[in-house]
Amino acid sequence: MSILGSIEQTRGGGALAELIRYRQLLGCLVWRDIRVRYKQSLLGMAWAVLLPMAMMFIFTFVFTRAVNVVGGLDLPMPYPIFAYIGLVPWAFFASSLNQAVGSIVKNQNLVTKVYFPREVFPLASVGSALADFLIAAVVLVGLIAYYHVATDWTFRASAALLFLPVILLFQVLLTCGLAMLLAMANLFYRDVRQMLGALVQLWMFLTCVVYPIRNDGTWIGTLAMCNPMTPIIQAYRDCIIAGTVPQSVAFWLACGVAVAVCLFGWWSFRRAAHTFAEYI
Amino acid sequence: MDPAVRFEGVSKRFRRGELHDSLRALIAGGLRRLAGGGARRPRREAFWALSDVSFSAARGEALGIIGPNGAGKSTALKLLAGILRPDGGTIAIQGRLAALIEVGAGMHGDLTGLENIYLSGAVVGMSRREIREKLADIVAFSGLEKFLDTPVKRYSTGMQARLGFSTAAFVNPDILLVDEVLSVGDAVFRHRCEQRMSELVRGGTTLIFVTHNLEQMRKVCDRALVLDKGTCSYLGKPAEAVAHYLRATMHAEGGVGYADQPADGSAAAEVLDLTYAAADGDAAELDCTRADEPVVVHVTVRVHQRVTRLAVQVALRHMGGELFISMNSQQRDVLYDLAPGVHRIPLRLPALPLASGSYFAQVRLWDAEHCRLVCETPYRYPLQVEDGGQGTGMLALPHHWGNAIAVDGGASAPVDRPTQLVGSAD
Repeated sequence: MSILGSIEQTRGGGALAELIRYRQLLGCLVWRDIRVRYKQSLLGMAWAVLLPMAMMFIFTFVFTRAVNVVGGLDLPMPYPIFAYIGLVPWAFFASSLNQAVGSIVKNQNLVTKVYFPREVFPLASVGSALADFLIAAVVLVGLIAYYHVATDWTFRASAALLFLPVILLFQVLLTCGLAMLLAMANLFYRDVRQMLGALVQLWMFLTCVVYPIRNDGTWIGTLAMCNPMTPIIQAYRDCIIAGTVPQSVAFWLACGVAVAVCLFGWWSFRRAAHTFAEYI
Repeated sequence: MDPAVRFEGVSKRFRRGELHDSLRALIAGGLRRLAGGGARRPRREAFWALSDVSFSAARGEALGIIGPNGAGKSTALKLLAGILRPDGGTIAIQGRLAALIEVGAGMHGDLTGLENIYLSGAVVGMSRREIREKLADIVAFSGLEKFLDTPVKRYSTGMQARLGFSTAAFVNPDILLVDEVLSVGDAVFRHRCEQRMSELVRGGTTLIFVTHNLEQMRKVCDRALVLDKGTCSYLGKPAEAVAHYLRATMHAEGGVGYADQPADGSAAAEVLDLTYAAADGDAAELDCTRADEPVVVHVTVRVHQRVTRLAVQVALRHMGGELFISMNSQQRDVLYDLAPGVHRIPLRLPALPLASGSYFAQVRLWDAEHCRLVCETPYRYPLQVEDGGQGTGMLALPHHWGNAIAVDGGASAPVDRPTQLVGSAD
């Protein structure tokens, strides 16, 4: 059979138009993911704050009490604040990917029974993780206020804070691109999900989440700077604490990578989407 | 105007066996290929779930799809819904499409009934506001008011089907696809669903209905498509489609029920065939008859050794299983005395006053002398009956309604018989 099958639909429009038409579904799935995650749990949404807080305490204990590494680093802010600003965006990134990777397989009964753009699953995973991120971010205000008042460290707000949504936007684009790629890969090979946990863990230590990374010319430093998450997390700290808008080439390069990953992820996802129901 | 649904020469291929390998096999295979050694793994046999199927459905038309298991019915629906992509041919859809492909599809067990209504609405592309407007109708139709805040995982299958159908039926789709989902609902709900589907069709919705419930299909649909092994074997009137389908199935599966017709020819006589015709002689065979018209049942038997005093019994069962009538020639004092060879025995019925439906006949041959069963066939000879709107139930008796007569002394104006209403019920 040489003719390729085709489906004509009068709805028309491109990928983005279709996604916009299904925004209600996306909203619904984000809400569903949030509801399901916190259903039958006593503390509910408080977990969104408790988890990064717990991580912050753990790393503060490890790096300042157990082995004092940060003492010699001369951080421009108390270590807990440093760690929290790193951990919250990282938790958003990591939990987006961890949820997205299984999102299509988990929703088999939707994928094989109803039609709609399949992107909504990984995107909804990113969306629900974003909700957690925003809640956890609010706590940062309290944390900064505490250190401002209780210690001799002072916080100065600046106009650079207005740049935060831009950083977040590029982080979201990068996350969405990877989420789509991973969800798709996992559909064909379930191994992806197994590998991802370890990979994300490794990735975290190649990113300046709990300690600063300098581009010191060693291969580890170079590797860390090639990783787009490093400039992004550094940019959060620069904006909030130093009050400077990121100007480094590395940051804008990371933004370019984020856009490229997002477009490539989306494009390849859509190309393969019609086979999902068969291969799942 | 373009039809709402157009299916043109559509083919869909699947591969047999496990679809994907593990990553390990992939890597190992890739390395082997790189090394240049070893043959490529054998290509899996392709299997055409649908090949070159064409049909279309206009706005406001109800098309039924029937066929045995594995005929490609669900594949056709999934292609229409856009879940699968065809390997050949063209599918064109005009308008908003809602699909009910399986019970509980598109529902999430952890969410409540109400949340799931919103979710299913969003899946077909409705806005929250639209759903809110329809909510009262959906809830009333489903009859699940008391369970709306219960998670769907605690629902029974029937309740899930109710929720799913109610939502799909009230999103006012331009095209509604319904797969075998109503069978789990109870009788009352099934009836309501039939009514709602007819209502939607009258309102301009195109209905594509896949079912094994042939009676339900006949009631709801205007046309029917019979699929068999991925090809279209019949497209036309529902009653004829059912006849076609049943005949093909009976042929392939050997009929309904068990029979002990000795196949080795040891019996003195065997039944070769049973056919229906409108009249004696060489009248054409019938698949389908009207309840008020005469039918002649022809039983063809092959006699191996001369038989004397052979009684013939024909029994007719409804597809649902009820025995409607059993006619034995002995009771009419007719016994056959037949020489070896093939004989055709007619059984004349002035009418077959049965409700619309599918019926099956069975033949038994008795040795009246020794009261012994000679040969028996399964219920394998289908006949469709159309009652022409004589009423619902099991029988289609001719009947007439008279004028009302005042019995309390008051005047009773003679009423013109409202002929346009007679027979319009159902």
